[in-house]
Amino acid sequence: MLATVYDRLKKVIVDRLDVEETKIVPQSRFSEDLEADSLDLVELIMAIEEEFTSSNSKLEIPDEEAESIKTVQHVLDYLASQGVKGS
Amino acid sequence: MAWVATAELAGAVSNAGGLGIIGTGNCPPEWVLEQIKATRNHTDKPFGVNVMLMSPYAREVLEIVAQERVQVVTTGAGNPGAYISRLNEAGVNVIPVVASVALARRLERQGIAALIAEGMESGGHIGEIATMPLVPQIVEAVDVPVIAAGGIATGKGLVAALALGAAGAQIGTRFVCSDECIAHPNYKQKIMEARDRSTVVTGVATGHPVRCLENRLAKRFLALEKEGVPAGEIELLGVGKSYEGLIEGNTDEGSLMAGQVAGLVKDVKSVSDIIQGIMSEAEEVIDQLSAMSQKESYAYRK
Repeated sequence: MLATVYDRLKKVIVDRLDVEETKIVPQSRFSEDLEADSLDLVELIMAIEEEFTSSNSKLEIPDEEAESIKTVQHVLDYLASQGVKGS
Repeated sequence: MAWVATAELAGAVSNAGGLGIIGTGNCPPEWVLEQIKATRNHTDKPFGVNVMLMSPYAREVLEIVAQERVQVVTTGAGNPGAYISRLNEAGVNVIPVVASVALARRLERQGIAALIAEGMESGGHIGEIATMPLVPQIVEAVDVPVIAAGGIATGKGLVAALALGAAGAQIGTRFVCSDECIAHPNYKQKIMEARDRSTVVTGVATGHPVRCLENRLAKRFLALEKEGVPAGEIELLGVGKSYEGLIEGNTDEGSLMAGQVAGLVKDVKSVSDIIQGIMSEAEEVIDQLSAMSQKESYAYRK
């Protein structure tokens, strides 16, 4: 079965932020709900880039975009805008 | 080092062969411009400006640095990503202070000249990782030169930083106790009296940890944090406390930022004596180490 973008993103968040997968919903705010500090967020952004970079397309999230990412849904929207699809 | 790393100190450090840095903390842009001009009266060597990104004036101060084409800007307490291209266009070398591998890697791809990896032994705003484990991990992760900071005040410390893979060291607390530093004599005295356990970290609960010498103010902060008083309320109590401690010399009620190396600082002397002392001690240590390794390899051959 193909993993959806959302499933893959959840796995990255679970790994990086040490949170229970059941706590993650699209509306989850990284700072308030998932208790990430600013350095955790930098690590998370880097991990998302790694997860969604493939041999034929490199994902780099610029700082201006990274700063406006506050919730899980924001990441999903950004990935969709970059044409990222499930594997 | 806001308030105390002024033109006098920055100029003296650059003249003595280091790279002097003006610390701007929460200072307004006019003050920064004045300090840049004053530093040029003290030295014709390169110098830098440190910008604290949490300052309400950070953006304006960075603009002044760009307009004045200061050779180096170091940034602290945040991610300078958004400003890097503007500074590079103006010919300013950007050297961010980082306390994590991920931020170091992220900044590297945006065109920085070098990085300062700062361990939590430092004074002022700090991260969570000590210099010894932090520096080699950042050196491993990036290709730009890495400058070690936090816990370095002597030639021994400098050699240790080089051993960790650093290209150089940033030194703060040691220079507070210099003739040229305008810090209040009471503050310098407190650093010289400091022992190994004299510093504490306040602000862990508010998410902005700061290392300073333990005094009445620091104890009160820690007590309030323990009681769970809201972060905003505690931070209000800190407003103006650095100036009160560092410049006015109120060592009980002012905030006295200092690194753990305060316990190693025993005298006030000129900047050039400090730098020469560090360099000659470093050379002695390197000689001792290489003598040791020659002896070892001799023993091994036998």
